Amino acid sequence: MEIAFYIAGTVAVVATLMVITRHNPVHALLYLNVSLLAHAMLFYLLGASFAALLEIIIYAGAIMVLFIFVVMLLNLGKETAEQERKWLKVKVWVGPTLLAAVLFAEFLVLVLSSGQGTYSPAVVSPRQVAVSLFREYLIGVELAAMLLMAAVVGAAHIGRHKRLVLHRFLKEEVEKEEEKHEAVML
Amino acid sequence: MFKVRLYNTSLMSNNDFNALMPLLVLAGASVLVMLLIVARLSHRLIQLVSLLLFVIAFISLLNIRAMLPYQVGSLFMIDSFGAFMIGLIIFSGLAVNVFSYIYFQEKEEGPKEYYVLLFLCTLGACVLAVSNHFVSLFLGLEILTIGLYALIAYLRARNHSIEAGIKYLVLAAFSSAFLLFGMALVYLQTGALSFAGMANVIGAASVPPLLLTGLGLMLVGLGFKLAVVPFHMWTADVYQGAPVPVTAFIATASKGGVVASMLRFFAAIDGFRSEQLQVVMIVIAIASMVVGNLLALRQSNIKRVLAYSSIAHLGYLLVAFIPGGDVVPQAVSFYLLTYFTATFAAFGVITILSGAESDAEELVHYRALFWKQPALASILSVAMFSLAGIPLTAGFTGKFYVLTTGIGQGFWLLASVLVLSSVVGLYYYLRVVTTMFAGTRDLLPGPPPKYPVFLGISMVALFVLTFALIWLGVYPDHAIGVVRDLQLLVTAPATSFAE
Repeated sequence: MEIAFYIAGTVAVVATLMVITRHNPVHALLYLNVSLLAHAMLFYLLGASFAALLEIIIYAGAIMVLFIFVVMLLNLGKETAEQERKWLKVKVWVGPTLLAAVLFAEFLVLVLSSGQGTYSPAVVSPRQVAVSLFREYLIGVELAAMLLMAAVVGAAHIGRHKRLVLHRFLKEEVEKEEEKHEAVML
Repeated sequence: MFKVRLYNTSLMSNNDFNALMPLLVLAGASVLVMLLIVARLSHRLIQLVSLLLFVIAFISLLNIRAMLPYQVGSLFMIDSFGAFMIGLIIFSGLAVNVFSYIYFQEKEEGPKEYYVLLFLCTLGACVLAVSNHFVSLFLGLEILTIGLYALIAYLRARNHSIEAGIKYLVLAAFSSAFLLFGMALVYLQTGALSFAGMANVIGAASVPPLLLTGLGLMLVGLGFKLAVVPFHMWTADVYQGAPVPVTAFIATASKGGVVASMLRFFAAIDGFRSEQLQVVMIVIAIASMVVGNLLALRQSNIKRVLAYSSIAHLGYLLVAFIPGGDVVPQAVSFYLLTYFTATFAAFGVITILSGAESDAEELVHYRALFWKQPALASILSVAMFSLAGIPLTAGFTGKFYVLTTGIGQGFWLLASVLVLSSVVGLYYYLRVVTTMFAGTRDLLPGPPPKYPVFLGISMVALFVLTFALIWLGVYPDHAIGVVRDLQLLVTAPATSFAE
């Protein structure tokens, strides 16, 4: 089973190297996805199947979708279609696909040969994870909530758009209205 | 049977809630202030409410004195040293809060989210001060840093503000990665995440290479947050670009929290047994003292002067830190007390002098300040004297304490570098003072003061700080008596198990 670890590890390292050397963000994202899958494989091999699933659902799934949303939003326009055609060249997707295929083959071999080997890592069950998170590290989870709050409040402030007021009289009215509102609240 | 015991030991008891009250108040305050923002209350009201909440947090801290030392789960160890540091940090938040109204009222950004972030940053620094576990250490550090990203770039329409924010973001994220990798290596070697667990595993044996590598990487991560010399590159630009109250916060609370957690960690694993680590720390300390003081000499911007001065001061602090032993928490707390007080007095004056368009950061602005604003000029002078370590001010007592700690353990090299670099430091501190007295008195006085209520509160705060600076310099016995009683504990005392 050690060989499985090294294969997954190699895939992770190669994919991550490709992430940081690509010039096009979408190419990098494809490799990042593979790198995350390889990490999930590593977790799985270490007996942390729950962490492996979370890695796939949260990182390879949700966060990747967010990235792709951002890329899509940034690329609105006529050239988008043209660009997408360029991105879907064989050259672009063949690398990540090959690496992912390696992982998939490894996964198949492991699943099919299960119960035959002597490899038995200490399995961490979801229950253990939950107990540790919501008993021993309860305060840690709450602190993580404050961390997210800091990030959200900060990002909301930095990324906020000013309301665009084209006419100066309108602008004055808006300001007056806001003042009035404040006075009422007080 | 097992389940019942699990329930008893791991969920929080009433005592846990009481012991964590200062942190809970800070966390609750950030949510409360957010609700006030949603209700669209005015800046003035939000400011006053936050002021009140900081005071409540401080009072709740005074309330828990009787139950110290107290361990909460495996994450926190609230001992008297930790409580003192929390007190200093909440005090910093309070001081920053006081000075913020005048600074932000005239600015183009709505300053309301600012208070939410200020509470969260204070919470992060307080968590650091009492963290007894890698999980709480990292979470606290990240709460602090992520809040600071946004605070530094708060005036987002200004180029230098955004530049400072981006610089801090990139470098802090990078240094967090170092810290995390170091923690992973330490965990790999010891198999424990709590400081006490690590201490048990390491025992009295020599430090293995993997652990040493992990500690080295952690030192990079923590050194960045402390802005000690080779990791100081961001300091001057971030200090210059950030809003003045935020700069004051970075210079004090964020460093205080990191120093406290680093001290707790090193005390737990007895990190100074390793000669290599000690040599690295000595090099860092000497480099910080020398480079910080030398780079400050040629600055013409007072925020940059204070930035380099803070690098040098962290170097001085390391002189007390390196020897290890029971005296260290006392010397470190006393030094931080004097450094915080002087820094807040200096930044308070800068805040009050700053205008809507630009901060009062160029030294030229301070020409003849004494003839226009004698009170502010005197306060800034006292702060500078204290930072320089001139006798009869707090800075001298603090430096003296540090020196005795260093020399007491035979670290003569560190002590002599401290003295020599302080002499160099005198030049730029005194230059600020002479600038304020230079020029003639027939300069026109500035515009009439705005916001009399908040100006009044700020002036009172400044006078209190100045009084504290002189009092700590002339009659430090009382403060030293308080500091002497501080203890830093790694494992829980027997009494807290017996509840």
